[in-house]
Amino acid sequence: MIGYAAGRSPLHRAHPYTPLAAASAVLLLAFAVSTPGAVGVVVLAAVALALLGDATGAIVRPMLVLVLPTWALLLVLHGILGGDPHLVLGPVTLSEPGVRRALVLGGRVTAIVIAFLTALATVSPPRLVEAMTARGVPFGRIFLLVSSLTLVPRMRARAVQILDAQQSRGLRIGGSAAARVRALVPLVLPLVLGALAEVEEQVLALDARGAASGARRTALDPPRDTLGERLVRMALIMAVLMAYAAKFMGRGA
Amino acid sequence: MTFGVRLERVRAGYGQGDVLHDVSLDVAAGESLALLGANGAGKTTLARLLIGLVRPSAGRVTVGDWDVSGRRPDELARRVGYVFQHADHQLFARTVRDDVAFGPRCLGLPGDGVAAALEELGLSRVAGAHPYDLPAPARKLVTLAGVLAMGAGVLVLDEPTAGFDHESRELVVAALRRRIESGVTAVVVSHDLAFVAEAAERIVVMREGAIATDRRARDMLRDEDALHALGLGPPPAAALGLRLALSGSPVRIAECVAALRGARWTAPAV
Amino acid sequence: MKPIVRLVDAAFAYPACEAPALADLSLDVRRGEVTAVTGPVGAGASTLLLVAAGFAPRLTGGTLTGTREILAARPGIVFATPWTQLTGLSRTVADEVAFGPASHGRPPAAVRAAARRAMDQLGVAHLAARDPATLSGGELQSVVVASALALEPDLLVLDDPAAELDPAGADALYALLGALAVTGVAVLVATQDLERAARIAQRAILLEAGRVVADGPAAATLTGTDAALIARAAGCPAPLPLDVDALVERLAR
Ligand SMILES: Nc1ncnc2c1ncn2[C@@H]1O[C@H](COP(=O)(O)OP(=O)(O)O)[C@@H](O)[C@H]1O
Ligand SMILES: [Mg+2]
Repeated sequence: MIGYAAGRSPLHRAHPYTPLAAASAVLLLAFAVSTPGAVGVVVLAAVALALLGDATGAIVRPMLVLVLPTWALLLVLHGILGGDPHLVLGPVTLSEPGVRRALVLGGRVTAIVIAFLTALATVSPPRLVEAMTARGVPFGRIFLLVSSLTLVPRMRARAVQILDAQQSRGLRIGGSAAARVRALVPLVLPLVLGALAEVEEQVLALDARGAASGARRTALDPPRDTLGERLVRMALIMAVLMAYAAKFMGRGA
Repeated sequence: MTFGVRLERVRAGYGQGDVLHDVSLDVAAGESLALLGANGAGKTTLARLLIGLVRPSAGRVTVGDWDVSGRRPDELARRVGYVFQHADHQLFARTVRDDVAFGPRCLGLPGDGVAAALEELGLSRVAGAHPYDLPAPARKLVTLAGVLAMGAGVLVLDEPTAGFDHESRELVVAALRRRIESGVTAVVVSHDLAFVAEAAERIVVMREGAIATDRRARDMLRDEDALHALGLGPPPAAALGLRLALSGSPVRIAECVAALRGARWTAPAV
Repeated sequence: MKPIVRLVDAAFAYPACEAPALADLSLDVRRGEVTAVTGPVGAGASTLLLVAAGFAPRLTGGTLTGTREILAARPGIVFATPWTQLTGLSRTVADEVAFGPASHGRPPAAVRAAARRAMDQLGVAHLAARDPATLSGGELQSVVVASALALEPDLLVLDDPAAELDPAGADALYALLGALAVTGVAVLVATQDLERAARIAQRAILLEAGRVVADGPAAATLTGTDAALIARAAGCPAPLPLDVDALVERLAR
């Protein structure tokens, strides 16, 4: 699932900024390096993050759904259409620079997807709200960020609701693949319209609770931030800066 | 076709612990039963069992000769028409007419039930409107029309008159009575005892996931002690019947009016 | 004292609707009073509440003409659809109820105390640790009302707040509204529950097709109770008795 999955891993217990910082660092590092080997290291770092967050079970499916088509596309595009020299692997001939390019691009996408799915799975949205509130972030911005982070689970809940309603009125779901696709048709429009209506309603509900009052919100239960975690985040920033420094100096040299 | 509904030693819940504990209930084909009980007593959970949206963790639920565990909600929909507690969770089409037509279309029924259901609930005028543009009670009427149009043998209605004015409540009572007279089985969750008095023959009161009381509606609605013990009181018509010892033991408004006909009235004291 | 809400010759139309939802509307809402609004479904009671609380047209769009003065410092509003009124940002009922006072930036202890008091008043303290998304309909409605009360409003506007409550819960809620008015709160409640409204309301407004058709003492205005209907059908001359006791009084022995 794309979204929070309750748990007790170190990432779940960490200050919400830490997993988000780690995922952002993976993103930036993935673009700082450009050899298949270095990208491989970044992928391993992302996998380590997922293991630390005990999130592999939760993210494996959406990860494959997002990543496999990317790999297929990249290999076809670069491997087959890339320039010389070509490698002969049994019945297929692949462009060597094309494959290297595909490995770099695919590796970046894989690392980023794993890291962000892990962050989404381990950062509880209400805790993130509290953490940002405690730092004095204006509520409007908190709301925008958290609503986008929770978009998938909310759409999913709404889809379940609509499917329940439709099934209880006789709509057959399941069976053949074609039947499943056909069942999607009456779902999509109400899902989109419902999501829009829901935003309007939520704005009313939040306004009714003074969310727009302009006062600085009280954080009731801000997550604890430790010196250790701050150091970790600092180290991540340093690593990113160093990677970019190396990249540009390497180019300059 | 009409069906009885039976729960045998049913347990059900939402993950952590059971919400319904060992509930047994037998509703005969053609019977109309009101399900009462405090907030959170488990009424909606019981109702959702009958359409397969909640599954029993133990025991058996049957609708006629069907065991619900072997069937998906869309199969059960051929026998059970279920109105959700919250209308907005049930509506999804862009016009009232389309929404009401959804069930009959899925079930392959002829479309003439749609117009009839709209007419019956006074919705013909707004058939082309978007359901979300209607006031909340009207949206609830739309969901009810959608279920009536499916012509199911069992109606399961979760708080069908919450927030209704008198006229809307009358529309529901009339529609329900017509179905009951033609042999449909009705299970109606409600807090509205005046509505229950008009629509139900039998009352079951739930408490903390179990059945606390199961009686003939007419007897229960006139038993002030039993009602008070449950935090309830007789609806106005029944209360008047009791206070004035009216003939015929009225519990419904029309019965009460009939018993009062010819009464002499005084001017109000000032 | 000046009325907390004053409308003079106001009219309101929703966007993309030619016909006004409310017209020729003049009305005062006063502190220390319960004002009930009723009328057939669709007569405009819900819209009137939105206008009186300052939500329409600010958040709904549309146009308001005429005069409107709202002097409330902390309005609290409860809409008719409990399931659209959760913030979606809280892990527990306790946090949900605390959301309003936290928005106003009150100190954490005061926020917690206000939330606790509101939960006690609505009898939902036992649900404090529950996930708000998993409540039963009536539990949810109580929590939503508690969330508005936690704001400690000076103007409390409620749209059919007891529609899904069990009779004991509805009695308790109406008694609470009456008690709040005694402490100086202005309560404006739209309802079809004329029996309970008649017990606590000083004033009642009857709407039909967007216009006020009666505005006066509750006893003279809420003439659509079951007891009144029975009395009228049985030939009782006006003024109709509104409850069972009054009806019994009016019968000649
Ligand atoms: N989705 C859910 N997850 C967890 N608990 C639930 C859920 N829905 C209802 N409950 C709980 O189950 C109990 C019975 O709920 P319900 O059947 O909806 O009661 P009601 O009698 O008010 O209809 C309540 O305590 C409620 O909080
Ligand atoms: Mg319920």
